Amino acid sequence: MTQDGTAIRVERLSRYFDDKPAVDGVSFDIKRSEVFGFLGPNGAGKTTTIKMLTTLLPPTSGKATVLGHDLATEGRRIRERIGVVQQQDSFDQGLNVETSMDIYGLIWNVPKPERKRRIEDLIRRFGMEEFRKKPTIDLSAGQRRRLQVAREFIHDMDLLFLDEPTVGLDPIVRRGVLDYLKERVRDGLTIFFTTHVLEEAEYLCDRIAVINQGRIVEIDTPENLKRRFGSAKAVEFKLLQGSSQDMASALTILEGVTHLVQDASTGAYRVTTGTPETVIPGIYRIAERLGQTVSSIYIAETTLEDAFINLVTDDNQVDAKAGGE
Amino acid sequence: MNIYARLVYRNLRANLDKASLFFELIFPLFFIFVQGPAIGGTGLQLNLGGKIVGYAEYLATGAVTLTVINGGTNAGTQLWFDRKNGMFEQLLMAPFTRAQYILSIIFATLIIGVVGSLLVFAFAFPIVGAGVSFTIQGQLLIAAALFLGTMFFGSFAITLSVALRSSETFQVVSTFAFFIFLFTSSVFFPTSTAPPVIQAVSFANPLTYTTDIFRAGLFDALTPTVSLELTVLVAEAIVMFVLAVIAFRRIRV
Repeated sequence: MTQDGTAIRVERLSRYFDDKPAVDGVSFDIKRSEVFGFLGPNGAGKTTTIKMLTTLLPPTSGKATVLGHDLATEGRRIRERIGVVQQQDSFDQGLNVETSMDIYGLIWNVPKPERKRRIEDLIRRFGMEEFRKKPTIDLSAGQRRRLQVAREFIHDMDLLFLDEPTVGLDPIVRRGVLDYLKERVRDGLTIFFTTHVLEEAEYLCDRIAVINQGRIVEIDTPENLKRRFGSAKAVEFKLLQGSSQDMASALTILEGVTHLVQDASTGAYRVTTGTPETVIPGIYRIAERLGQTVSSIYIAETTLEDAFINLVTDDNQVDAKAGGE
Repeated sequence: MNIYARLVYRNLRANLDKASLFFELIFPLFFIFVQGPAIGGTGLQLNLGGKIVGYAEYLATGAVTLTVINGGTNAGTQLWFDRKNGMFEQLLMAPFTRAQYILSIIFATLIIGVVGSLLVFAFAFPIVGAGVSFTIQGQLLIAAALFLGTMFFGSFAITLSVALRSSETFQVVSTFAFFIFLFTSSVFFPTSTAPPVIQAVSFANPLTYTTDIFRAGLFDALTPTVSLELTVLVAEAIVMFVLAVIAFRRIRV
């Protein structure tokens, strides 16, 4: 940790693959004991950034310090004090849950009595009692994910990178994991967190960076992001006759609609727009033309997801214009 | 605990397929107890540096060095398991260097190769026992043969596993490659009596040298070429190890 309390300082960090930028000159600071969310669409550069900051991948240019150590020259010192939960599975296939945690602790040189104590605690905290003796190869995706997150807490660390850690977890376990992370943050842990579940980011993160096409579009608190970029409203409605492909097609070309999400389970449509006063009559017109009836319609509260979609959509449009010029 | 000891222990616990290992040990026993006595029953005898041995003894010692190849394959399998299961990247983000990781695989392979060979040798002892002469020089040669052979084939398997894109392809290609090593070496027959093409290939084959040096050490049957064979085997093991390190450094994460 630096003396000014900065856990990570990144300056114009880039990584190119075959002359294409995966991460393109990103800069940000993360404070000690902060939960820093890193949100972006698929392929935005989130995982590449994590791979660079965890010393797995050398940057093409730029510089960074992690826990006060230079990324370029002090990789080993950095790795001694970080933990990483990768997006992909990682498990020892020849071991059961308990042994795999024990051996992971051993390679981190955690003394045996301490390993034993932590394993018991983590197995209880992550609800793994039922499958503690089960071979890791036989675990379900959710169980394996739970093990992967829990296992990382076997060793001491100052900074934890979590790359979509809750994928595959059911809502109850997910909330338990997030609460555990909050506890550890209160104890001084700093977290770098990526997710596609924006409610999670809102629940956990102190600040959020939105990254798109390798560049950081915005960094702010979840509340400020919603206030500043959630100006577009979300209009939610349902049709009496259920969902219709024709309605979805017509909505995508309706003027003022910036984004459309259809909930397959409820049949509800969620339309993001900056001009609900023109879009709502438009929805009624389309429904009438298609012989459908709107059974319910309302303007939803702005969410972090709306702000995120606006930010990314606007950024893509700016890019498209720049490309066309 | 030392960093290598921790990693080697982890490799041996997490990445060893015990069923495969069992059959790798069983496989040479068929040569020792079935093929060797069957062909040896014809009265075939061979000259090893002036010492005459029966074919059963000859093949039994070859079967011991065959275990070295099997041990080597394990190096590639360990790496593949780690890559397939995401542990390769996970460990590289832990406080170890790539060099420490690859060396831990080589050390684990050496343990498997040497311990496996000694186990098979223990089984083979009733057959080869009569001709064995334990001298200090011979024991050093045996140790060198097993160490260098495992080092070469472990490094070879690592290089192969880095070059190939799936664990299935690795299994097929490594089995094929190891059959070539096996049948162009002196494990089953003296290469001096083989057709010229096979003789030529056997001169480059490290398994030939591993087997010849092992036999020379075991039967105290030193030929004038043993020191040359040892030099070639050292060179081949070093070159293959360097190639494995270079290949390993190029793995994209």
